[in-house]
Order: sequence, then C-alpha cells, then structure tokens
Amino acid sequence: MEPKEQSKEKKEKLWFWNWVIASVIFRLVLIYFPKNLNLASRPEVSTPLTSLRRLAEGYWLKQLSMSPYAGSMYHGSPLLLSLLGPLTVKRIEGQPDHLLCSLVFVIADIVNAMLIRATGQNLQMEYTRSLKLLDHVKLSEKPGKIIPSGDIAALVYLWNPFTIVACVGLSTSPIENLAIILSLYGACKRQAPLAAFGWVIATHLSLYPAILIIPMILLLGYGTDTPPRKLFLQRRNVEVGDNPPNDRCCEREEVVHRSEVPHVFSWRPVIHFFCWTSLWSVYVLVLCGISVKQYGGLWELFKRTYGFMLTVQDLSPNIGVLWYFFAEVFDFFRNFFLIVFHGNILFMMLPLAIRLKHRPCFLAFVYIAISSMLKSYPSVGDSALYLGLLGLFVNELADMQFSFFLFCGYVGVSLLSPVMHNLWIWRGTGNANFYFATAMAYACLQIILVVESVSAMLNHDRKLRKPLTELQDGKN
Amino acid sequence: MAESEAEVPKAKPRPIVRLGIFLISHSCLFSVICCTAGVLTLLLLPVLAKNTYISENALMPGSANPMFSSQEVSEANRLVKSLTSLDSKPVGSGIESQRLIAEYMSDLGAEISYHKFYPRSNQFHPLHFFSYPDSGSTRENVSCISHGLNTVGIIRAPRGDGKEAIVLVTPYNSLKVGPGEALSLGIAYSVFSLLTQVTWLAKDIIWLVADSRYGEYAAVNAWLRDYHMPVFSGLSALKAEICPVSNVHNELKENSVTERKINDGFRRAGTMATALVIKVTDGSEHFEDSLSIYAEASNGQMPNLDLINIVNYLAVHRQGLRVKVEKMRSLINCKWLKILGEILQSLGHVAKSLNPQWKFGIPAKDYVEGAATLASSLYYQALGVPTGPHGAFRDYEIDAITMEISSRVALNNKARKNDFLLRGGRLIEGVIRTVNNLLEKFHQSFFLYLLTSPSKFVSVGVYMIAFALLVASLPVVAASLYADAHKVDPSFGIDKSTPQASATDELSITPRSCKWLNAAKKVFLVHLWGAVVSFLPYFICQIPSCTPTTSFVVWVLLSSFSLPILSLILGSSFSYGRPSQPQKRDWTLLKSVTISAAFIGLCLMSVINFATAEIGALLMVPMCLMAQPLKLDIRSRKLRKFLRVACNLALGFLGFPPAGFFVLKGAFEGFGGITVGDFWSWLESIWSWSSATYLYIAGWFERTRS
Repeated sequence: MEPKEQSKEKKEKLWFWNWVIASVIFRLVLIYFPKNLNLASRPEVSTPLTSLRRLAEGYWLKQLSMSPYAGSMYHGSPLLLSLLGPLTVKRIEGQPDHLLCSLVFVIADIVNAMLIRATGQNLQMEYTRSLKLLDHVKLSEKPGKIIPSGDIAALVYLWNPFTIVACVGLSTSPIENLAIILSLYGACKRQAPLAAFGWVIATHLSLYPAILIIPMILLLGYGTDTPPRKLFLQRRNVEVGDNPPNDRCCEREEVVHRSEVPHVFSWRPVIHFFCWTSLWSVYVLVLCGISVKQYGGLWELFKRTYGFMLTVQDLSPNIGVLWYFFAEVFDFFRNFFLIVFHGNILFMMLPLAIRLKHRPCFLAFVYIAISSMLKSYPSVGDSALYLGLLGLFVNELADMQFSFFLFCGYVGVSLLSPVMHNLWIWRGTGNANFYFATAMAYACLQIILVVESVSAMLNHDRKLRKPLTELQDGKN
Repeated sequence: MAESEAEVPKAKPRPIVRLGIFLISHSCLFSVICCTAGVLTLLLLPVLAKNTYISENALMPGSANPMFSSQEVSEANRLVKSLTSLDSKPVGSGIESQRLIAEYMSDLGAEISYHKFYPRSNQFHPLHFFSYPDSGSTRENVSCISHGLNTVGIIRAPRGDGKEAIVLVTPYNSLKVGPGEALSLGIAYSVFSLLTQVTWLAKDIIWLVADSRYGEYAAVNAWLRDYHMPVFSGLSALKAEICPVSNVHNELKENSVTERKINDGFRRAGTMATALVIKVTDGSEHFEDSLSIYAEASNGQMPNLDLINIVNYLAVHRQGLRVKVEKMRSLINCKWLKILGEILQSLGHVAKSLNPQWKFGIPAKDYVEGAATLASSLYYQALGVPTGPHGAFRDYEIDAITMEISSRVALNNKARKNDFLLRGGRLIEGVIRTVNNLLEKFHQSFFLYLLTSPSKFVSVGVYMIAFALLVASLPVVAASLYADAHKVDPSFGIDKSTPQASATDELSITPRSCKWLNAAKKVFLVHLWGAVVSFLPYFICQIPSCTPTTSFVVWVLLSSFSLPILSLILGSSFSYGRPSQPQKRDWTLLKSVTISAAFIGLCLMSVINFATAEIGALLMVPMCLMAQPLKLDIRSRKLRKFLRVACNLALGFLGFPPAGFFVLKGAFEGFGGITVGDFWSWLESIWSWSSATYLYIAGWFERTRS
C-alpha cells in the first residue's frame, strides 16, 4: 500500500512540475511575439504605475541627469528604476526589445508561484492539524478528500491568463505581487524579518498593500488560518462535560485548557515584526533619499508617487471605475470623493478583521481583492494575484455559490473589454460609456466574488461547528 | 443581465429572484417563446423601420443654389474627349493618361503629386488579431516589378486652415479607360474646376485619381496608408533598398513642360471629413437616371447615416435621380414573403380602423422591397467584405460611400450626355457644399443601423431587440440545466456516503460545486480545437506550390488529427465507461457550459458585427437548445425521442453545411491568391466565421459524443 501511495505522490509531483515548466515555455514563446501581441500598450495591462515603457522613460531622464519624475511620465519607485532601468536599455542583437526585463518578470512569476505553493502547504498542514484537534474524523480521515491546495493555487496563478498577460505585457506588477506574496509567506512561516521586508517593499512599490499590516499582525500573533477559536473551546467543553458537573471546577479546567490552546496571541513575533519594519523602512527611505537627493528630495518623491496614486491625476482609461468617475465629477467635489473612495477601503478593514480574525490569510486575500477593486490604477496583474490566492482556500470554498456564473462573467468581461476599447478608440462607433460599462461589470463581478467567498468561508466554519453542537446536544 | 437574473435561484425570495426561478422552471416554454419572438421581430423589422432625417443641423443640405453650370460641363467634355482620344493611341498610355489628368489639374492651379504604390498580397496572419490595422505594414512583401500610380490633386480652401479635407475618389484603369470611367473623371474634373473658383470653401479638396490596375480597393488603401503613416527618411531608404526607385517622377517631369507645381513629396491636407467615390455606369437603366449607394465597409461597419441622408436628399429632391441601395433580387419574387407582407398590410388596416392613430401598416410591396434590402444589408455586413473602395476609409474613421450614377440610355446623344453631366456635377457639388458646412466630423447620427430603403433605416435600438429575444433563452436554459444537474446531485451525494460508492470514484474528489470544471475543460478543449482548425490555413498557405484542392485536403486531414493530439496533451479522455446516471448529469453540465459559451460568443459577436451575430444566432440557438446525446435517445425507443433525434440530425446537417461552405470559401480565397480586398476585413471575416465555426463544432461534437 505504502509504496504505491508513494509512487502516486511522486507522479503527482511530477505532474505539477510538468505544468510549471509548460507555463514557462508558454511565456517564453509569447515573449518572442511582442510586436504582434502588442500587449504592452493595452490599458488593461499597463497602467501609469506599472508600465515598463514609462519606467524606461524615467530611466532615460535620469541618465540625462534630470528628475525621473519630470514630465509626469514615471510614477514608480526610484529603487525599481535603478533595478530595472539598466535592463531596459540593454538590447541583444536579433532578440526582441526588453527581453531581459521579460525574463525578470518570468522569474518573478515562478518565484511567486513557488511561494504561493509553500504558503499553501503550510496552510494545509495547519488545516489538517486543526481538523484532527476537532476530531473531524470524517473530514480528516479520507486522504483524497483534501486537495493539495498549494499546488492548485500555484498552478492557478501560473496559468491564469491575467498573470500571463501581465507578465508578457511588460508591466511591473509581477514584481509588486512578489513583494506582497513574500510578506504573506514570511508571516505564515513566522519569520518576522522576511515578512517585514516584504511588507515594506510592497507598500513602497504600490502603497495599497499597507493595509495588509492587520493580517500580518494576526498571522504573526495567532498563526495561520484555523477554524474559530470558539470551536476549540467548545470541543474542550464537550470533553469536560463528561466530568462531574461542578461549575467552578469546570471553569478552572477551562482556564487550564485555554493556556494549552495554541492560538493565543503572542506578542513577541509582532514586536519583532515592528522592529524589523521600522528598520527596513528606514533603510528603504535612506536608499530612496540618496537616489532622489538632487531631484527635490523625499518630499518630491512622495508627491510624485503616492500623491499621484491618491489624487488620481491620470484619467486615462483602465479597468477600474475611478478614471471615469473623476473625469465626470465637478472639480470642487473632487477632494471629497477622493476621500470617500479611499475611505471605502479603510472602512471595510475593521469589520472584516473582527469577523475573520481566525483566518488571517483569507483576510489578506479579501483585503487584496477589495483594494484591487477600488485602487486608482488597477490592472489585470492585481486580479491575477487575488485569483491565485483564492486557490489556496479551495478546500474551504468548495461549496461556493455562483462559481460557474463568476467564471463565465470573468471570461465574458475579459473578452468584451478589448472589444469595447476597439470600438471606442479605433472604430469610432462606440464611446467611453461602452468601455466603462465593462469596467463596471468587472467591478460587480469582483464584489460578487468577495461576498460569495466570505460567505462560503463563514458557512464552512458553521459546518465545522455543526457536529460539535450535535455532540453537545447529545450530551445534554 | 438575464444571466444574473437567472442564476440566483437559491437566495432570498425577492421579486426579481422569484421571477428568475419562475423563468428557470419554465425554461422550455420560455425558450420556445423567445426564439419565435426573436424570429418574428426580425421579420417585422421592415415595418418598424423609421424614415431617415438629417440629424446634424449644421449641414443644411440644398440651402444654396448650385453654381455648377454648362461651362463646367464643357470642361468635363474636354477632358473626356482628350482621354478617349488618348485611349485610341497605342501602348504606354498608362503614364500618358496620368500625365494628361495632372496637366488638367495643374491648369486649374491645384497642387499635384504622384503617389506610387506596390500592390501587396493579402496575407492572413494569426497573430495580427491583436495588433491594430496599421502596425503590420512594416514587413510587407511587395513585388517590385508591378506598381500603380495614383494622381492626387489638392485645392487649398480660401477660408480654411488646411486642417480638414474632403476627398473625391475616381477609380479608373489607367491601361484601358472605359467610357464610364472617363465620364466619372469628367464629372470629378468639372466639380474640381468649379471648386477652384468658389469662395465658400472651408475644407481643402483632395481629388484622388486612383489607379485601379490592381483593384480599386488596393489603390485607395495604399494611398490612405501612406497618408496616415508618414514615412521617415530611414524607412524610405529601407524601401529604396527593397525596390530600386524607378524614375517615374523624372520621366513625368521631363516630358511635361507645362507642369509647374508637381511635388516629389507626399502632399497632405489634414484630417478627412468625408470621402466620396464617384463611378459612372451607363445604359443599364430602364426608367430614369439613378444613383446607387454602396456603404458597407470592412467587417460590417457603416458610415454615419447623415452622409447617406444628404446624398439621398440631394439626389431625390434636387436632381430628381432615383436612389437605390443593394437588394436581394431573389427575395423580391419570394412567395411567402409576399403573403407575409399582405398579412401585415391587412393587420395594419385592421389596426388603423380600430384606432386611426396607429399607423404601422405598410403596403405589401413596400414590405417585400424592404425585406429584400434588409436581407442584402445584413448579408453584406455579415460577410465583412467592403462593397467598394470606400471600405478603405472606414478603417481610418472616415465616413465614405460609393456613388454609382447610371444613366437611362447609352450616352451617345450629346445633349443627353450634357444633361447627365450637369445633374451628376450638381449633385456632387451639393454634397460637397453640405459637408463643407460640417463642424469637426459626423457624429450626430447613427453608425449602427440597417437600411431597408434609401430613406428608411432600422436603428440599433430596434434591431437589437430581435437579437436579444433570440439569445435570451440561452442563459435561462443554461441556468436551468445547471440547476438540474445540482438537483440530481444530492441523491448522488447520499450514494457517495455509502461505503460502496465512495470507493475510488475519481469524480467524488472534486467538490460538489466545482463539477462544472470538468465540463468546462471539455468545452475549452473543443474551442481550442476550433481555434487551431481556423488557424491552420495560415500555415498551409506557407507550403509552396499548392493547388487549392490539395491544400484543402491537407487542411481537413490536419484538423481531424489535431483533436486527438490535443486531447492527449491536455490529458482528458472522451470515453467514460460510466453508469447512466452520472453520465446524464455530466451531460447536462456539459450542455449548460456549452450554451453559456455560445451565449458569451454571440454577445461578443453582436458588438463586433451585428449581422454575423444575428445570422449565427439564427443557426446556433435552435441547435444549442435541441442538442441531446444520441446514445441515450436511441436506447429508449419511443416515438417522441425518435422524433427528437431526427430533429437533431436535421439541424446538425443544416448547421454544418453553411460552416463548411463559409470555410471552403475562405480557404479558396486564401489559397487561390484571389484577394478579397481588405486584409483586415478578410481577417476579421475569417475570424467571425471561425468563431461561428468552432461554436458549431462544439455543438456538433456534443451531440455526436457519448
């Protein structure tokens, strides 16, 4: 039995690696047709923040010893500029332009997938352990029942058309995603320095991941996703209920047990995390300060990057909804709506954090999905990230409603959006409303996805509680 | 929209949800009603057509008296005479006639330039789907031996700033100038000469004498491409390398002493507001002089309706010409259409007698004519091949039409000919004067419409109803099938928990709600196959020295082999030896996924090219709804089921030959080197065909499997 199982496992592993290699080959093939695919100029792929063409422009300006932010072309980080900039000018004879950058993005994608896989394995281990703790014999017994969610998530990430398009279309979003995933991975492994590094870099690159600090703290404090803590207590209660019905005794016992419960908030890694965060941020700020010293200093940098993101200055069309809104809104309402839109993300943080505090990874997924919906310059790279993370919870979300509808919607919208853009820009028979309609449909789909996944997750928790309550009722 | 309604069966019973549940539970009835309503609405479209009106107030057509007089007519006659006399001379008249026209133009004081172009073979490239029409121009394969020569004359407007222009196009074959072509050149020349003198001109006038030796479309397209994509020195050097610049310009210059203003460079005159292609045919009409309007550009795009309105208004009300648009001749004598028209007419009478306000009845004859026009309008839009050189302009967002003026009798009589020239010239002058009033560009009226007669149109809001009704049944049926599959599921779930069933059923591992993934994989595979099949012609084209027949055979063989290879690669097997219950459920899911894919495809297509989507929907929707696995039906031997099988087979047979026909046509056009005209349109039309094709294949496959 055992060798057979082992061989099966081996086969599955081989299968996984085959698909990974196939995805790399697929990307490399696509990289060789940059002119024909013309992905780098699609508004869905390259936003003002993630476009490599803008980065090359910024680098060019810097080479001419001008401020890279002059002329409102480049709005990214100066670190990225000095990292990727030299690669943009290097050309190899007979090869497509930006080949080196594309290779960097492919590597970033692969690393992303590997990190997602490792995170998934970590999550899964925790999941089976907690199921065992809860004595869910039915669920934990069957080996086939639990899908290797890490592998699934990694493959979903690698083979998602959005990821491929973002990678081949020369947008820097694979690198931004790398920072986010790195921080999640570090937090799951409870390595405070790594998590802090990822978080600082992610925040530095695209600002919105700053809200991930709550899941980070929860992850470091409580550990990875588990069923609600109440369940463990209940479970203990059931066990304790067998003992003589002395209330005080019972209470004391519970206190004793609680100390044994592994899910107590531990402050040490969190404090570590904060120390490291401050260290890394000082480091990053110093580096940035050095590189923009002669171009107006750090304040100019903040104004040109974070200010650009928060005030939505570039109203060129993208798949988000903000560009249209701020193109239409009266100027004197502009500040108000800027606050409303960004406050929207912040308002949702606290309730979600309270409700999902036992599942910090899932909480991180929800935050990423919400911010990629409401951020000022969204691209398909952001969707690629949260869809990949969605794969991590494939066991818990197995009973999600409307999955088929969502799938069809995503396919439909992602096909319709370029068509509408073509009608508007190239044929002249449509107008901006056509394109904005698909952006709205896309936003609606994302909302449905978030709502349904959260409710499926809560249902899953309820389902875990059911046998316990039955057991308790039987006792009573 | 309908899908979101239909997909909410389990939520709280709000009214909209209840409506959704109701629709889903009666999906069969609903789909039948929807389909019939869709077809009926399509047949009603000629009745629902509205009269056209000029939407842009600034145009003011026909508000000024025509200045075109007999003096201009004599000018035209002069050019025609010298052209025909030139034609009787021996060889070498290609350049001669060009020079003649250029001389005439320069006498009028216009700027003249020659535009040399190389006809390029239309190559279908699968990856060009993603690029814009212009980007493929850098690596064309030109044949250096043959080249065409366009002559371009530009009048600078006295009141303009040189940023806007109106284009006149007269295609003619420089090797052999026919009488009609000479007349069209004459009309254009006379109008051109008039426009050099007028003071009201606010837009520059470009007269493009297109050399139609290699097709009218190719010449106009080449000129437009060079007009919109300036060639910089580096590139031109590259071009010179490819083709050694023959000294046409020098030749032309040396020979003509009188030419003062011929420019070597490419002359431009700003953005084009409108383009008019002028053609003359003679002697074919029975009743009176008439004007045919051709408007369909590549891929079913139409010019702004206002342009057609202006031409129609001026031709009918000012010049007394009969205006025609293309009709399907075979439909006019169609019996059932006549009967339908009479029924509608009597219905209209009844309605009118009930309430005199209701005026929707139209005479039966009008109905039949309208239906025939509508059918041809649909057909040409669906085909995606432009009906003339005006199609090239639409790719650059310029509204253009072809005006084909034809006279009643052969134009031998001189007075008759002068009258004809006068009317034609006045019409074109009127149109140009009207367009001259235009601010910016046409935007006020419709771009998406179907014509039922020159003065009647069906707008997008109306014809979309027919399509929406036809398609609405798809999501509802998909949702109901999906719900069915899940209704079967709980019993299956109970089975699963019993020890015997849960042994090693691979499928039970996949969670309940993700069962559709399997079906989606299958559908994806079939669509991928369809895509491969439709891309194969490109690779087959590369094989040198291939007759159409052999390449067709190669294509069929390759495409039939590619399916097993694909399925092998993606690791999905098609033969499940399973008991009938899960198989049935599998099948329902498969059908549901297929239908949703078809729905998405059709909706996409309706945005890109409505006519293709409409025709596709007419074929696809019944096929998708009726599809049933053959094996299950045959096993249960009932008459009803047998009928259904027969129905299915008949539909499948009906659905397949068009696909085969289209594909065959596409193949021959591709391989035989017969250029369709427009590269992009060809590509797009192939695209549309192939999308229909692989949806067909999906439907076909689904039925024949199991």
